[in-house]
Amino acid sequence: MNQIVLKEDVMTANPARKVKLGVSGINKTFRIRNANGQPSSLLPVLRDIRFDVYENEVVSLIGESGCGKTTLLRTIQGLVRHDSGTISVDGKEVKGAGRDRGFVFQQPSLLPWRTARENVEFGLELQGMAAGERAERAKRLLALVGLGHAAEQFPHQLSGGMQQRIGLARALAIDPTILLMDEPFSALDAQTREVLQKELLRIQAETRKTILFVTHDLDEAIYLSNRIIVLGAKPGRVKEVITLPFSGERPELPVMRGDPEFQAIRTRIWDLIRSTPANS
Amino acid sequence: MTSTTFIGAADDLIEDLEPAAPVKRYWLVRLVSIVAVLAIWEVAGRQVNPLFMAYPSDIVHAAYRMIASGELLAAFLDSMKTLTLGFILASIAGVVLGLLIGRYRYVDAATDWLVNALYATPLVAITPLVILWFGLGFPAKLFIVFILAVFPVLINTASGVRNVAGQLIDVGTAFAATERQIFGKIILPAALPFMMTGIRLGIGRAIIGMVVAEFFTAINGLGALIIKYGNQFETAAMFVPILCLMLMGVVYTTIALRFEHWVAPWRFTDDE
Repeated sequence: MNQIVLKEDVMTANPARKVKLGVSGINKTFRIRNANGQPSSLLPVLRDIRFDVYENEVVSLIGESGCGKTTLLRTIQGLVRHDSGTISVDGKEVKGAGRDRGFVFQQPSLLPWRTARENVEFGLELQGMAAGERAERAKRLLALVGLGHAAEQFPHQLSGGMQQRIGLARALAIDPTILLMDEPFSALDAQTREVLQKELLRIQAETRKTILFVTHDLDEAIYLSNRIIVLGAKPGRVKEVITLPFSGERPELPVMRGDPEFQAIRTRIWDLIRSTPANS
Repeated sequence: MTSTTFIGAADDLIEDLEPAAPVKRYWLVRLVSIVAVLAIWEVAGRQVNPLFMAYPSDIVHAAYRMIASGELLAAFLDSMKTLTLGFILASIAGVVLGLLIGRYRYVDAATDWLVNALYATPLVAITPLVILWFGLGFPAKLFIVFILAVFPVLINTASGVRNVAGQLIDVGTAFAATERQIFGKIILPAALPFMMTGIRLGIGRAIIGMVVAEFFTAINGLGALIIKYGNQFETAAMFVPILCLMLMGVVYTTIALRFEHWVAPWRFTDDE
């Protein structure tokens, strides 16, 4: 099994690859208060998280629920403050939120009073881009995510899968250095999820975006990623980084599931996640 | 539906998957109900001493007389002037104050006791005091309409601002929006439907305020007409301005409800 899964991170060994996202020594602790508002205990959620994501790479963060994977992603985006450590995008340290990172939320979180096109334009509007240029780019991105026909429709007129496509287009519109995706397909039904997973691979191939993807779905992680970072829980820490042996065009997920290599990796990750001691 | 597409039941016994066009049938029921109530009123009303009760045909006669003399239109326009101006002022003040109270904790802390106290008070009780301040004229009536209508607008706007989904604020933060952009592009539009609800609720109170003010001043307007014909024991004529008020309430509330749907169609998709 270990011959198939490469435990060593071979990509770090290749100096030609550019680091798009550098996460180094991130610690985060939440303070828990009792009913009277007095601090009663501390909850460490992230401990000394460090990893890099390289150009044009799809990396998944996986771990059992409560391991802090979503907190980590929100920390990288600047939605949650971290206690120590540094986050750098394109080699420059970032503090707080920025449009060098594009975020796709678990819930589509579209603005209900805006049409699909206007939602995609949101980030561009904040930048102060002219209306005509904005609309043109939004239309191009809607076409990219397969919603060219729905530009003038409102979110409530569209299905959950379509809404999430708009969420993806909105994040891509600002042309971020890295795309951060927080379990974006977890709220969708199984069929829509598989369609969108395939679509994401296509869109990634077309845009060559670097993606950091949070999921709790092993198959999804294996199917989409070049590498998988397995997080241990309580507190969240990097347990292992697994480089996947698949390259180039991938068969569809149902076909891949039958591949012995796929199954071996799946078992390996499953063992890693399960072997997390209850308190460490 | 063709009769060959079903097996085992008579055509009229087959249940619709979704009840088809119930609207038409309900309108018929409504019409029958209206006619029945009017007929009973007409018949029963004629049995009673006209001092205590008027009946529909009598009211129509009185209305015709009052329209012909121009009395009704003058009173109506007078009332409308007070109502419209007072209500517009209340809406503007309610929205502005509501935004400040909903957005800034310290403004809320400074004013919440006052807002709650005044909203809980039946403010028509201060009408005699208002008349002492402003006299019997237009300003007193304007003030009463304003003070009654402003609180529902203010309270709903503030709660709209407070209850903007954290998810949507996160979107603004994630896309590095400034404080002002978050306010203008997320909080304000998200609170807009709440403002509209406040405005709709405010209309009802504004009409009450207008009538009460006119009762006290009893110089002009629909309220004054009610008092005048009440004192003259002309019950049928007294009903005419009351029906006018009812009509105003229905028309205004319907317009406001339509407007609510128009500014926030996504809020009403579940129950339509």
